[in-house]
Amino acid sequence: MDYKIKNEGGKAQVVFTGDITFSENVSFRQLLKDISEQKITSCNFDLTAVDMVDSAGLGMFLIAREQADTADWKLTVSGAQGHVASMLKLTKLSDLLAG
Amino acid sequence: MTSEISKKDTKNQDLMRSVYAARILIVDDMSLMRQMIGMCLSRGGYKNIMYANDGDEALKMVEDETPDILVLDLNMPRVSGYEVCRALRSDPRYEDLPILVQSASETPEERVEVFAVGATDFVSKPINQPELLARVRMHLENRFLITSLSDFRKRMQDELVMARDMQQSLLPEASTVKEVERASHMKIESFYRASFELGGDLWGCWSLPDDRLGLFVLDIAGHGVGAALNTFRVHATMARFNRTRVDPARFLTELNAVLVPSFPLGQFATMFYAVLNYKTGHLVYSGAGAPRPMVVSERGVRLLDSTGVPVGIIKKPDYFNIEDKLEPDESLFCYSDVLIEAPQPDGTMLGEDGFVDWVAEEARKPDRKHLVSRVLRRFFDGQPASLPDDLTAVALHPNKGGKE
Repeated sequence: MDYKIKNEGGKAQVVFTGDITFSENVSFRQLLKDISEQKITSCNFDLTAVDMVDSAGLGMFLIAREQADTADWKLTVSGAQGHVASMLKLTKLSDLLAG
Repeated sequence: MTSEISKKDTKNQDLMRSVYAARILIVDDMSLMRQMIGMCLSRGGYKNIMYANDGDEALKMVEDETPDILVLDLNMPRVSGYEVCRALRSDPRYEDLPILVQSASETPEERVEVFAVGATDFVSKPINQPELLARVRMHLENRFLITSLSDFRKRMQDELVMARDMQQSLLPEASTVKEVERASHMKIESFYRASFELGGDLWGCWSLPDDRLGLFVLDIAGHGVGAALNTFRVHATMARFNRTRVDPARFLTELNAVLVPSFPLGQFATMFYAVLNYKTGHLVYSGAGAPRPMVVSERGVRLLDSTGVPVGIIKKPDYFNIEDKLEPDESLFCYSDVLIEAPQPDGTMLGEDGFVDWVAEEARKPDRKHLVSRVLRRFFDGQPASLPDDLTAVALHPNKGGKE
């Protein structure tokens, strides 16, 4: 998993590439730390270039959502396709992460 | 902070105590050299120093006295230092024993040969005492650190094996499965393998009143010790809900209510629970995000809707029951996500569509009762021996129907 953070006037965009799985635990936490160091009002996770997310990956989205609630910014997820979209739908996390 | 430093100090003190108590074997055919090296090390604080006059004696003493390090002369009559190195390195017991070689002539060729025969390090003669002390100390420290790390690793591995065995004991006992099979006249075909780490898969079945049976599969997110411990938590919690076992949605709701406050953030269980009336085929089920179970027959595969918020995330997940019917020739097949997510030999993942195709193909063949083992044989053909995640696959097969 790789990610790039773009912050334009407090609206952040995180573009992910690669798989988001259990083994990305450490990089994902680093990402959340990077986000927490920026002043943002919203953040969108762009999953267009993600091929695969496992259940641990979904758990990391939930952690991100909690951080968003605590730090008072809004988390959205976009661009999920194929397996990633199915996983989000199957677990209804697409609804949870949409607000 | 202070306590961290003092902990570190204690660790260092322990290490240094081991270093200075180390058994050092000095091998040299010249008595003066033995004495000089011995005196240097003894002044440096080392207490256990032994001496060998030649290579032959050195090899015997290594066997009898099990030294922690050798300070070895190269040019000795009869058995030379080179031969001592070769002999020790060809014995698995001594392949990690530090050998510090000392020699007067020091051509580049000699250095190459010294390391080629297995020496750990090199000091040149005449001996520079501070250098000798520094090198001996460094190699002993390495040796003790590596030993303590490998002891620790071994202990952790033993503990993991024990934990895996304990986790295995959460699965239904053979007698329970037999009892459900006898009552339902169905065949339960199951497979479970923990990943190389600990994991969080679990399945179970039980008999229910009025010709019914209950079957669940669950997968706790992530793996490792945290997921495994949560498997025990879920298993123990489920045992408390005897009353609601006949109603899948209520069962999941009750389980969720207990687990939401106790699951750490980011952990949850995807789950599927079904109640089947084996006389009528009436099936009631509820899903919490588990991979979609399949209803399998020669005619093909249809998927059940296991959509639902995984257990342990939110207070009101709104689980609901869905009703269906198993025809007399249909099997119900539940599985964990590793089957669709594990990388195939070509690097891609099989995905749900690919896996459904496999199952449909296998279902057209005779001997449905071994459908799971056939599908898994195909899966394992393309997999390394150790899986990235737990694997669970459970099928309920009709005893009649389907080609035999």
